[in-house]
Amino acid sequence: MMESLFYIAALVAVMSTVAALTRANAIHALIYLIVSLLAVAVLFFLMGAPFAAALEIVIYAGAIMVLFVFVIMMLNLGESGVAREQEWLTPRNWVVPGVMAALLLLELILALRHAPALTSGISVDPKAVGLTLFGPYILAVEISSMLLLAGLVGAYHLGRRFIVRREKR
Amino acid sequence: MSPADFTALLPLLVLAGTATVLMLQVAFLRSVNVTAGLAALGLAVAALSCITAASQAPLQVTPLLQVDHLALLFCAVFCLAGAVTVLLSLDYIQCHGDEPEEYFLLLVLSTMGACILASASHLASLLLGLELLSVALYALIAYPNKSILPLEAASKYLVLSGAASATILFGFALLYAASGTLSFSELGLRLATLDGADPILLVGSAMVFAGLAFKLSAVPFHLWTPDVYSGAPAPITGFLASVGKAAVLLVMLRLFLEADLLRYRILIELTGLMAIFSMLAGNLLALLQSNIKRMLAYSSIAHIGYLLIIFMVSLDLGSRTLAIEAAAFYLVAYTVTTIAAFGLLTVISANQAERENVELHHVNGLFWHSPLLAGLFLVSLLSLAGIPLTAGFIGKFYIFNAAVSGHNWILLGALIVGSAIGIYYYLRVVYHLSRRPEKHHTQPKAAGGWLTRGLACALILGILLLGMLPQPLMSYLQSIL
Repeated sequence: MMESLFYIAALVAVMSTVAALTRANAIHALIYLIVSLLAVAVLFFLMGAPFAAALEIVIYAGAIMVLFVFVIMMLNLGESGVAREQEWLTPRNWVVPGVMAALLLLELILALRHAPALTSGISVDPKAVGLTLFGPYILAVEISSMLLLAGLVGAYHLGRRFIVRREKR
Repeated sequence: MSPADFTALLPLLVLAGTATVLMLQVAFLRSVNVTAGLAALGLAVAALSCITAASQAPLQVTPLLQVDHLALLFCAVFCLAGAVTVLLSLDYIQCHGDEPEEYFLLLVLSTMGACILASASHLASLLLGLELLSVALYALIAYPNKSILPLEAASKYLVLSGAASATILFGFALLYAASGTLSFSELGLRLATLDGADPILLVGSAMVFAGLAFKLSAVPFHLWTPDVYSGAPAPITGFLASVGKAAVLLVMLRLFLEADLLRYRILIELTGLMAIFSMLAGNLLALLQSNIKRMLAYSSIAHIGYLLIIFMVSLDLGSRTLAIEAAAFYLVAYTVTTIAAFGLLTVISANQAERENVELHHVNGLFWHSPLLAGLFLVSLLSLAGIPLTAGFIGKFYIFNAAVSGHNWILLGALIVGSAIGIYYYLRVVYHLSRRPEKHHTQPKAAGGWLTRGLACALILGILLLGMLPQPLMSYLQSIL
């Protein structure tokens, strides 16, 4: 019974990812991407990694929500923007992701009532994650910081290309 | 972590320190010369600190890194290659990018990624090192923001390399699911107790291998190579082709030996097949190119083919040490030669509007108006072709020797055929170098001050020294393996 929860969440993850890849409209694709990330978070939770599940939601789903807000901010200008949003929000577009998300919520509630690790039997709490990261894996944390620095500097320089061009105009 | 651990990590600490100092310096004072000087100094000190670190080797520092003599040797080689790239890029980047300072910071970070790969003994450090190397390279390839070619090259590399990293990661997940460990040596122990025919383990290691083969640009994962090489700035192409590939090959060798993936005979036979295809396809396609950078890209595919031979040779326990020795020597020789060849291309193509493109006719008659540069370029081409008295010859001879000792006759045949084709297209460039310059044709004026020329001379001296006096490096390699 509990394993069926895993398979349902996995199915939701795969289906929403396929939908995210095939949508022509970026907003609709983003909605499916969020559902996909939520499904992965539920999978983590069922496996006994509540901390990873929380991070998945905070970092990935959260970041995409921010992206979402930015898109709406940039596009929503005046009457035409309102009309466009009306067009986007036809029931055809939100019912399916809504049902998927509701299914995931239901699973989460069911899982919460039972032991923390439903499919693996071992639960890893945040303290254990922290102890491992800053114990044997301390160098991985340090190398990641360098990786982030490389990403940041690279993104800054590549983004400059467009800023400089706009200023020239 | 004990003091010994810190000593062993000294090269990495120096690199991380250099990156931090550069970041702060760029934030407060923008000056290309200061940044480049600091970067070159930091890289040189990191290379020197490998000698200090060697007193502690071999040492396992946390589960992630295994600092042994081979890792430190390549750390030093990568840092020196990074320092040379910094100095070679100085002139290029001043003309072709606004805000050129971050370029050097990214180069230091990329070198650090390569050093981490050289000493990785854990799947996590493998992935982090690989990503550090490639993420910095994406930005470096796209750095000159006045022309469109580098941007195209960088986006191709970003998308394809990202897909390869995802494949590697998926492979790691499968390996972990079946074995329950991420450390190379423990993986080897677990695999020995597990069922050898477990499809999950086999698929997992095949995915890791495919991803790494993509980074090495072995046929059939080579399609990105010519476009990226021809679009990227020439010094970065040299760095990518030498350090980027040597680091990946080194970590792949370590993974296959320590995790004992050699037990999967079918996987190793696949590397042999890939080696044959890379040698033949790389050399044959190089024949068709009129752009020198694209030609060198295909020739680098062929060189990876030569190197992949050693995996088949390693199957034979008696020749395993010889195979590793051959690979290490070949990698050192190949790194020096590639950096030299691309460095000279940077100098030769200095005054062109589209500096990323170097066609064969651009070098027409170079012997007649700048004999020094042409002579140096000639030596690096001969070393790539594997002509005696150069480093490339000894490297190829080593691989040849290993293949003979492992009785891999088919691979040996492909190596000989490939090298024979190779000589033709390398010498075609030499033919163009020595042609009488046409009167109406404007000559490419070679740029670069005494620094670039001195550096080029030093590199060529290195190639010749490795070719004529290979014994010190050979005996050092024998003593550490």
